[in-house]
Amino acid sequence: MLPATAAALAVLAALLAWPVPALLGRARWPRRDPLVALVCWQAIGLAGGLSIIGALLVHGLAPWGHSLPEAGWAVLTGQPARDPVRGDHWVALTLAAVLAAELLGVLALSWARTARARRRHRELLELVVRPADAVPDARLLEHPAPVAFCIPGARPLLVLSSGMVAELDDAQLAAVVAHERAHLAEHHHLYLLPFVAWEAALPVLPAAARAHAAVRELVEMRADDRAVASLAGPDPRRTLAQAIVLAVGGAAGGAGGVPSGALAVAGGAVSARVARLLGPPSPLPAAARAAALACAGLLLLVPTVLLLAPAL
Amino acid sequence: MASLGDLERTVMGVLWAADGPVAAAELRDALADRELALTTVHTVLSRLEGKGFVRHDDARPRRFRPTATREQHAAELMHEVLGASADRQAVLARFVGGVDPEEARLLRQLLAES
Repeated sequence: MLPATAAALAVLAALLAWPVPALLGRARWPRRDPLVALVCWQAIGLAGGLSIIGALLVHGLAPWGHSLPEAGWAVLTGQPARDPVRGDHWVALTLAAVLAAELLGVLALSWARTARARRRHRELLELVVRPADAVPDARLLEHPAPVAFCIPGARPLLVLSSGMVAELDDAQLAAVVAHERAHLAEHHHLYLLPFVAWEAALPVLPAAARAHAAVRELVEMRADDRAVASLAGPDPRRTLAQAIVLAVGGAAGGAGGVPSGALAVAGGAVSARVARLLGPPSPLPAAARAAALACAGLLLLVPTVLLLAPAL
Repeated sequence: MASLGDLERTVMGVLWAADGPVAAAELRDALADRELALTTVHTVLSRLEGKGFVRHDDARPRRFRPTATREQHAAELMHEVLGASADRQAVLARFVGGVDPEEARLLRQLLAES
């Protein structure tokens, strides 16, 4: 007999593995409030991991007790199993261990890899760039393609290409810089990290790729919002939209040896950003915000309670 | 007191401007206005060598030359930032990802109509 906790966790895991990310990925409201949507995605990612590993653990440990604290205590204190331990219990325990190790391993691995790549980028940058005259804390990279990016970390770097500076006027450039600064100020690379791990650990799960793409898009929208809020000028939304379209036009024109094979990643995401800047959707009502945040909280609370609750 | 990064950039500048390999003592003389000790020049050179930016030959004294031009380094960086490199996560998604020409055209239209 499957303990009720394991069954409930398995149902939750199944919901979080497909229908929930599919619904949130298709919903229209996230672009009205990217930050709340990002919180929801984080909750889905975390609750998904908790419930699937939890379900396997609770089922695998069922012969020792019908709740995780009870069974865990029994195993730790070396008590014999009360019920016979069958093959499926061992399979569940092995799967739980493999999945947990894989998720944590991928997380550690991608952390280490990005740290190494960032160091290399920084070394290269310090060699080839000079401070940008137009923007004191940014660096200027001599390259015809209009590109802006930032390297997060203890000493963050904001980089503009000379192509970007040539293409945009001062107000548009300020909008680009404000966008990149928003990424750095809110540590958006950390929002992406769990989804990099999910996608690498479970490449067969379409929801993992979908979630990663959605989070990537929301992070850009959030940075757009922050940038627009911090900009002066008559119409900062339009200025930022112009900057995006100009940067895209240059890139699509094949300027200066941009490897085109790798480019078609963002797809419709750029259009969504521009449309959103030009015709801003009405902000989410306070009640809807609160409801979404409450759902995110519940998502985390339910598997935690199920895992820690005594046997049902 | 100049930072090491600043010194590295300056030394690379001299190496890039030179016609051929340059010895440490020549570098010190070329940067005479900075009054560097020869050991400092060697420190900077070995750091640059550790990062793969310079190579030395077997002549006596050793002479150093850059492994690539400034443009090649810039191109390598751009390739990693723009390209399909697996470590793209290292930079935070660039300002705009790539779009195909059709979407670029639609975007310009969108902007013109609003």
